[in-house]
Amino acid sequence: MMPEVRLEGLGKRYGNLTAVNNVHLTVHDGEYVTVLGPSGCGKTTLIRMIAGIIEPTEGKVYIDGRDMAGVPIEDRDIGYVFQNIALFPHLTVKDNVSYGPRARALPPEEQLRVSRRFLELVRLLDRMGMFPDELCGGEQQKAALARALASGSRLLLLDEPLSALDSRVRVDLRYELRRLAKELGLTTIHVTHDQEEAQSVSDRIVLMRAGAIVETGTPEELYARPKHIFTANFIGETNLLEGWVVEIRDGISVIELRNGGKVEVHQTDHSVGDAVVISVRPEFMYPADEGMRAVVRGITYMGTYWRVKAETEDDEEVDFDMATLDGNLLTIGKDVYLAVNPKAAVLYPRPEDGVEEAIRLE
Amino acid sequence: MPSVRLIGLRKTFGGIKAADGLDLEVRNGEYLCLLGPTGAGKTTALRMIAGLVSPDEGKVLFNGEDVTNTPVEERKAALLPQTYSLFPQLTVEENITFGLDIRGADERLKEQVLISMLDLVRLSGRSTAFPRELSGGMQQRTALARALASGADMLLLDEPLRALDARLRISLRTELRSLVKSLRMTTIHVTHDQDEALVMADRVAIIREGRIIQVGTPKEVWDRPATPFVANFLGQSNFFIGEVLQSSPCTLLRTPDGTVLKGRSSDLIPGTQAVMGVKIGSTELSKERPGYLQAKVERILFEGRNLHMDMMTGGGQRLSAKLPSWKKGRITVGDTVGIYWEEEKGTVFSMPANGLESELKVE
Repeated sequence: MMPEVRLEGLGKRYGNLTAVNNVHLTVHDGEYVTVLGPSGCGKTTLIRMIAGIIEPTEGKVYIDGRDMAGVPIEDRDIGYVFQNIALFPHLTVKDNVSYGPRARALPPEEQLRVSRRFLELVRLLDRMGMFPDELCGGEQQKAALARALASGSRLLLLDEPLSALDSRVRVDLRYELRRLAKELGLTTIHVTHDQEEAQSVSDRIVLMRAGAIVETGTPEELYARPKHIFTANFIGETNLLEGWVVEIRDGISVIELRNGGKVEVHQTDHSVGDAVVISVRPEFMYPADEGMRAVVRGITYMGTYWRVKAETEDDEEVDFDMATLDGNLLTIGKDVYLAVNPKAAVLYPRPEDGVEEAIRLE
Repeated sequence: MPSVRLIGLRKTFGGIKAADGLDLEVRNGEYLCLLGPTGAGKTTALRMIAGLVSPDEGKVLFNGEDVTNTPVEERKAALLPQTYSLFPQLTVEENITFGLDIRGADERLKEQVLISMLDLVRLSGRSTAFPRELSGGMQQRTALARALASGADMLLLDEPLRALDARLRISLRTELRSLVKSLRMTTIHVTHDQDEALVMADRVAIIREGRIIQVGTPKEVWDRPATPFVANFLGQSNFFIGEVLQSSPCTLLRTPDGTVLKGRSSDLIPGTQAVMGVKIGSTELSKERPGYLQAKVERILFEGRNLHMDMMTGGGQRLSAKLPSWKKGRITVGDTVGIYWEEEKGTVFSMPANGLESELKVE
């Protein structure tokens, strides 16, 4: 059985500063969970409290039902991978990886067997005699991962494991991380600020902001139907348009935007007269015969699509995507009418402190 | 604003060739992204342009004038280093005017520059704050203001967004570009992030092992990659090895198992070995069409706007495809799909001298 991690009312205060506030979370056996959020949201403090590197000021950490209060990191049975690759520079890759087995006083042939197994898993067997300095960044991080895995623990904590690497290497390695965790059936908690990384590796994402959890959900839930406006903006890109509900009929809300344009949305949990914000992703907004009027301000080639920036009549910037570029329709300075896919748009109550504040990243 | 030309720059550090015959032309007022993996020589190139590193061989020209031996302070090129290196004990204001103080600029000029810089980077309200009191984005803007206050007419940016969070990095791309563009400065921006380069650059120069491999608009380098490396570094590609049957009006490539694949016209000689690259975003899947070849879907990863699919062919080749997320559910793990692409999307390259694997290596 793989360990379950349960956090109950977990908090950390430094004087007046609250780094983590009242976090409740259960990470199930064999689940791959990412803790995602901008700098300073408390995600690193959270994972370090789970690891036992930081002592919480409130609440409890349970691993496999066992209260971890007072249990030091070495007795928690976790594999921990740091952001900055922490290999022993004077040991070969093999000796780095067999460090855990050696510390557990396994016989030498067993140490070798374990380190070979994990080096093979991370596809570094041919590098085992090399020193960390002789490896590329991505390989070093793989070696660090192999070392964490070879410790034999079933709970893997990854603290921004890819952020020191180049983007292409990062993309390749994140698939590896998930593959390994799933192949070995580990429970994994992976901290990152990169929403793409979180989306592609997680069973479930925990999104944090200002020390608290904003919401948790599968990558698809958080992308398609985020419960909070902060999530809508943080995970993927989106257009946020302010307006009022003017009509509700047959499962459709009609929203009048600030610029007078009207947009229909398949969601009716607001009342007529409510001030709302519509979130619509660039791939679900498109030019049509009628709709919101805007002027094309910029066109960027994104490889598989064109990203068009347009300015609405009330000077709001909106982005929409086109699979191919219709030159007649889309040139800079041209007027367009934009329609919104009503099924893919999501409504939120207009935040009291304004949209800017609700989505602020730092 | 100056144009920049690099001619045959070479620089070796302890046996490692950081620049190995680097040629590049940057136009007046252009925003050029120098894109490449770690260790490609991007930072060295930038530092040679700034005058911080002198080349072993070759020339740096500004507006046609040889500045290879001109000292840093006379080049009027402002370098924004990766770590902003703001002075922690100085306020935003003092950081911005630091260069002017050193040069003994008079108070009136200093004040004028300061006001316009604070306004430009939207930090007027924070002029007396210390760097540690600022968010990452504000620190970056302070560093930019300091670089600009020196009166430079050329801006050299070394991974200017790298220290920021991923989401913030995306938001700041357009902001940084329009700020620099509004000043009509010639800008060279070093990055390893291909999305950043595509979004921000007028032209992208791809650098690898100290040499420029290709220069072009984002569309040119994406659609018409010069080498398999470029095809894979920008957006990832599937590759197929085979023998060229014809090269015009389209290229036909016969793989070892006899399948004939179609790609854009090329100048390859029939009978030679070649590689076809197809972007994973242009690789199409169908359960109805047999396609060029069939593969079994092994894994589907949700990436927000896209789905990433990994497949295995009967012959044991791994292939990937990227589809819009709204197509989800049409294809599931375990399905056998036909794989095809539009002829225009297949780019055929001559076989790399050291083999395909070493050609594609990013580290």
